Amino acid sequence: MLFNSLSFVVFLVIVLALYYSKLFNWTNKKRMLLLASYLFYAMWNPPLILLLWISTVIDWSAGKKLAVEENQKKRKLWLLLSMSINLGFLAFFKYGDFLLENFVTIANSVGMEFETKPMGILLPMGISFYTFQTMSYTIDMYNKKIERARTFLDFALYVTFFPQLVAGPIVRAKELITQFYEPKIATTNQFFWGLFLLTLGLFQKVVMADSLLADTSDTVFDSGQLIHGIDAWVGTLAFSGQIFFDFAGYSTCAIGIALMLGIILPDNFKYPYASLGFSDLWKRWHITLSSWLRDYLYIPLGGNRHGITRMYVALMVTMLLGGLWHGAAWTFVVWGGLHGTYLILERLQRKYLPFKITKWNGIFLAFITFSCVNITWTFFRAPDFSKAWNMITSMFYMQTEGIKILETFEIIKVCVVVGILFLCHWFMRNTSVKEVSQKISPIFLGLIWSIMVFLLCVAQGSGEQFIYFQF
Amino acid sequence: MKLKKSFLIALSLLTLALTSWELYWRSQGKLPNLNDDKALWSLHRANVEIASRDDVVILGSSRAYFDIQIDEWAQVTGKKPIQLASTGSSPLPSFHDLVNNTSFNGTVIIGVTPGLFFSTTYPGADPWSRIQTKVDHYYNRTYADRSNFWLSIPLQSNFVLMSADEEFWSDDIDLKSLLRKVKIGNRTGSPQMPPFYSFGDITLDRNMSMSKRTVQDTAFANTIIKVWNFFGKGAPPPDKKSTMSFFLEDVKKFKERNGNLILLRCPSSGGNRIGENMVFPRAEFWDDLVKQSNVPSYHFEDYDQLKDLTCPEESHLSKEDAEYFTREFAKIIIEDGIITNSKTK
Repeated sequence: MLFNSLSFVVFLVIVLALYYSKLFNWTNKKRMLLLASYLFYAMWNPPLILLLWISTVIDWSAGKKLAVEENQKKRKLWLLLSMSINLGFLAFFKYGDFLLENFVTIANSVGMEFETKPMGILLPMGISFYTFQTMSYTIDMYNKKIERARTFLDFALYVTFFPQLVAGPIVRAKELITQFYEPKIATTNQFFWGLFLLTLGLFQKVVMADSLLADTSDTVFDSGQLIHGIDAWVGTLAFSGQIFFDFAGYSTCAIGIALMLGIILPDNFKYPYASLGFSDLWKRWHITLSSWLRDYLYIPLGGNRHGITRMYVALMVTMLLGGLWHGAAWTFVVWGGLHGTYLILERLQRKYLPFKITKWNGIFLAFITFSCVNITWTFFRAPDFSKAWNMITSMFYMQTEGIKILETFEIIKVCVVVGILFLCHWFMRNTSVKEVSQKISPIFLGLIWSIMVFLLCVAQGSGEQFIYFQF
Repeated sequence: MKLKKSFLIALSLLTLALTSWELYWRSQGKLPNLNDDKALWSLHRANVEIASRDDVVILGSSRAYFDIQIDEWAQVTGKKPIQLASTGSSPLPSFHDLVNNTSFNGTVIIGVTPGLFFSTTYPGADPWSRIQTKVDHYYNRTYADRSNFWLSIPLQSNFVLMSADEEFWSDDIDLKSLLRKVKIGNRTGSPQMPPFYSFGDITLDRNMSMSKRTVQDTAFANTIIKVWNFFGKGAPPPDKKSTMSFFLEDVKKFKERNGNLILLRCPSSGGNRIGENMVFPRAEFWDDLVKQSNVPSYHFEDYDQLKDLTCPEESHLSKEDAEYFTREFAKIIIEDGIITNSKTK
């Protein structure tokens, strides 16, 4: 079920009504939330709930054993079981065709005649999110960082909690499971703030991403021709804005919906396009994924504990795998590789060419970072390398011979929207929507709120799927 | 934070804004109308799965859609047909789906609009992809898609502001369509399509009928004619060889399972008809199609009661004429024994 759909509106109203009715005690409310979460997922594809159940049962059992088992070998085996099931699901459902395709390429390149058809496996929605979330539980249990979930119900709800099930934020067990132990009810202010965040998230998705930017980005990236440099830049800027509004919109909705139930989810975005460098970017973009990769990949790979070279290798491996997490294609790996390279270059700059960031050079640095991020997005969005290379060629050689495929108004629209987005991020980088809302009058906030809902109604939207659902 | 106060202010302003928006568009002559979208098409496509030998399925493009009126058909034949025609589309992909993915062996009426029927078999081309998107949606629709559709029906039926069509009509009033109207110069140098306004009303059973305005307002009808001219000038040459070969293969399969196939050429008039006769001469296209298909076929020119019908915008019949056409056509094929009247059976 999509947040930007009528079904979800009805679903949410029913869930809230049941949650705040006096029909259920806390345990039954949690049961209701769990059933609602399964229904939320089943409305997309019922049989794939089986994967969620398997993941839940395996990780619950592994966690239970890890809580009491002292034999290190056996503990390792339980951890391996959990990881192999979760990563196995990912490998089969998400990377099956990719692995097969690469196997065939390698086999053919060494002279083995081998042909096969793609398996055409259906990618279960949100599999990358919930497998990472549930794996974090068993890894933390293995490392004795957390206590096991008190009940199976708490754990199942942690894995399946519908607001963040399919596209995050990827929440750690200690942040969420413990919230299920005691009855939760949103205060009036929390409830309305949650509703405001839900509105803001939907506005970002339906109005900004789908109505204002998606078409331009699709036109440019779906074009099979070498295009004019301006069109290439505008298409990339449009995608840059689209993916931010789409994904940040989802996270904002998720945080808002959970808050309406009295549950607090962590922030996932903090004005990333005003980042001062790439270390800063990854503290602001998809925060819950980058912290997951840091804690469960970069640090176990050695982090910065074994010298500079090892640190750079760990950094690059983390970013390459982070790229692959986003999609089963080499273009995503290159996207991750570019981010890894930027991070390494930034560290080298800090070491050999340090300079102080002031309010004067800050915005310039933010702009440079934003421009570099845009270059990486071409690989992220392009369907293949040839298109990505065409885009890069057009962007840097400013192909004046390339075909003009965007009309003037489209160019103005994208530049205005993305320009405002960049400036908003710059001015908001050290504050938050909540802080700003507290400073303005309730009437002005009400006016902004009504404009957002009005534009949502006018945009209508055709229930476009969130981009990150495919990851 | 006084969020409750902000919420109440937002609610009041929103009510005011939406009411004004709705009233404004109604004052501009817009009325609530259902969206002719893939969800509605899929709803009716599903009926083919449970259809019997007595059922009739209509495939084709907008002419078969506008010119066959469902209630009239039901009155004459005793049974409502399943209307699966789709505007601007080739009937080949939907017939291919019906032949290869269902066991339906009742009657299929295929509306043949030469410019679309003989256009292409290239999946990326508009006449193909428009209908293929609907076919794909039928197979891929989720339970959420289905419930969204049903929940949207009362809203679409009652509020003008809910009318955003997949067709991207020039008079659509969703945000994307409103922004699309803004034009500054012609940077791409591509031919500019004249405004294309919605000219039909649709019901939940996919009965499409021409709007009164199209019949009564000649200036409005002329805007539609300009669009046909634009399409005509920009259309690539027909691909008779591949379209016929693709179609005939499915015809063979359908006949092998005793399916009853009927080809129908609906009326066109004015410059549109002249253009069609020039690019798609009857002997070379329609007659050859009929000969090679070897199925009952009906060309409006061959029947006295049908040949003089005039299309207000040169391509589709008015509601009244469409009702007449439907009655007469149904009577003809009953008389020919191609279908039976289920009321008198």
